[in-house]
Amino acid sequence: MSQQPPSEIEKIPTRNPNESLDKAPTLAPPSTVAAQQKINTPEAIAADQLYGTAPPSNELWQETAGGQLEGTSLWRDAWRRLKKNKFAMLGLIVTGIIIVASLLGPTLLRIATKGTHTYDFIPQQGELVRAMPPSLNHPMGTDPQGRDMLARVLYGGQISLMVGLVSTFVSLLIGVAYGATAGYLGGRVDNLMMRIVDVLFAIPYMMLVIVLLALFEKSLVLLFAALGAISWLTMARIVRGQVLSLKNQEFVEAARSIGVPTWKIILRHLVPNTLGPVIVYATLTVPSVMLQEAFLSYLGLGVQAPRSSWGTLAAEGAQNIAIFPWLIIFPGIVMALTLFSLNFVGDGLRDALDPQMRKV
Amino acid sequence: MLRFIIRRLLVILPMVLLVITIAYALIKLAPGNFYATERGLPEAVERNIRQKYGLDKSWYVQYGKTMWNIMRGDFGFSRKYQDQTVNEILWQAAPVSATLGLTAYLLALTLGLTFGTLAALRQNSALDYGSMAAAMLGISLPNFVLGPLLVLVFALTLFWLPPARWEWWVKIGSGGIPNPRFLLMPAVTLAALYTAYIARLTRSGMLEVLRKDYIRTARAKGLSERQVVIRHALRGGILPVVSFTGPALAFIVAGTVVVERVFAIPGLGNYFINAALNRDAPLLLGITAFVAILVLVFNLLVDIAYAFIDPRIRY
Repeated sequence: MSQQPPSEIEKIPTRNPNESLDKAPTLAPPSTVAAQQKINTPEAIAADQLYGTAPPSNELWQETAGGQLEGTSLWRDAWRRLKKNKFAMLGLIVTGIIIVASLLGPTLLRIATKGTHTYDFIPQQGELVRAMPPSLNHPMGTDPQGRDMLARVLYGGQISLMVGLVSTFVSLLIGVAYGATAGYLGGRVDNLMMRIVDVLFAIPYMMLVIVLLALFEKSLVLLFAALGAISWLTMARIVRGQVLSLKNQEFVEAARSIGVPTWKIILRHLVPNTLGPVIVYATLTVPSVMLQEAFLSYLGLGVQAPRSSWGTLAAEGAQNIAIFPWLIIFPGIVMALTLFSLNFVGDGLRDALDPQMRKV
Repeated sequence: MLRFIIRRLLVILPMVLLVITIAYALIKLAPGNFYATERGLPEAVERNIRQKYGLDKSWYVQYGKTMWNIMRGDFGFSRKYQDQTVNEILWQAAPVSATLGLTAYLLALTLGLTFGTLAALRQNSALDYGSMAAAMLGISLPNFVLGPLLVLVFALTLFWLPPARWEWWVKIGSGGIPNPRFLLMPAVTLAALYTAYIARLTRSGMLEVLRKDYIRTARAKGLSERQVVIRHALRGGILPVVSFTGPALAFIVAGTVVVERVFAIPGLGNYFINAALNRDAPLLLGITAFVAILVLVFNLLVDIAYAFIDPRIRY
């Protein structure tokens, strides 16, 4: 099961949820039981990774109605556990609503109001060009230019979510490639590569990112790259640890013995098996990257006007907080709600998919 | 141990130089310069300015000279605030940022450890759920939203605290004892996120440790619950927190940039951003070097502390 690339995992037919099945005692292989009571000291983690005593918990056995033991995939089992976690499910639903609202909202709003409620529409009539408190027409009020705040918050959500996802993807690419290479090659190369990561960990990056964005022309691409480039380090460490524990298993040896090239072993055999922890960590990276984007935008270094992101909206709101408090309250609430939900989903996924991972 | 410390100290110097070099390279590669005006300068004036600041030399001469001066501790005059040396600005602004950062740091440690431990001791109680929900909120609420909200409530509605700025209560040199009325809101704003992280780390660390055999032994010996928790469990339970305190400092440094902007505090953060926007190379390099040294030395201290708390670690 562990050798399956992720695409095949999705093909496993889902079974009807069975009440008695859920309550049946779950028999776990000893390694999984040990893994759940694992020790969290750095050495223990290192030992786990080194001796491969902490493999991805691939299979759990469930007793079917007929009393037979039946294997269940990691993914289906994780989904079962995730569904039991009320906070995570609530987070998933709220995240879904916010994503859909951000994607479709601005367009629907523009069509419904014939173009007067968009992120950059400034009314022609002078008396409308002012910050108006929330009303039926403008549920979140307007900003000092008379632009509808609901449209701006929804549009800002598009940008913020996009920055979060793209930057996480960038960090995923770098981190997985780096960690898998270091872990698989091992020895001196591994030592050198991980020392470099140690060194980079100690550098106060945010300062360098601030310098980078302050000096160069601000663009979304630069923002993606900068945020992605500073969040891959932990990912690299996680992937390396996983690969170290996997690379001496038989299926890798088998691949090597039939002459599969190194890059292909890493890409086809090792990386797919590290997917669990990687997904968990990526889910937790998204909110932290979104927070960093907002932080940079707040300082005037991220997304530039007339575009809006939640960070720029909060910054505009903070300037006028005494007179127009709704300018910061609504973007602040929506942003906090999104991060709150994403963090709950990440936490829930971690508990469901990878109980051994340290809880931060 | 001594060898480890010496080795680490030897690594710190090249790393600081590396960080400064990156910042230096970014400034040199970036478009624009500190003397640019909207109308542009006559060519002769520009030539003279470039000559005065040595910008007409080749890049390696400039780089070598800058690095040599930095290693002697001389960052030169700021380009923007022309009558002040970088060292004077650092001397003025660093105590403000340091006081703010340190207060937030201690606040986060105290509250985070207390609530994390209590949550672990009363797992699944209302206190546990309450503090963990509050911690999640602390992680999700950006400090530039939290700060203005606090201002809105405590300064602009209740009029309890001043909304911004900074005052020393007792002034000693360029630092002193801060006025707590001005310090409170910025420190709370800055500390919120790290309090939340530390509380979560403490809770999970303590939950691990409390199930260990040696805790059962300690209880079986008849020790009071307080002694079991404080003398035995806490020592092992806070290891994840200790390893987080290193990175936390780097984050707090970045956090002060925002909090200083929110509360209009004259600390290093505002100077730093303005230095980058104004292409004020000496000031930018000065602050970068200062912070890099601070973070790296602190990381070393954390590693040393780790060895004292956890006797299994040998360097």
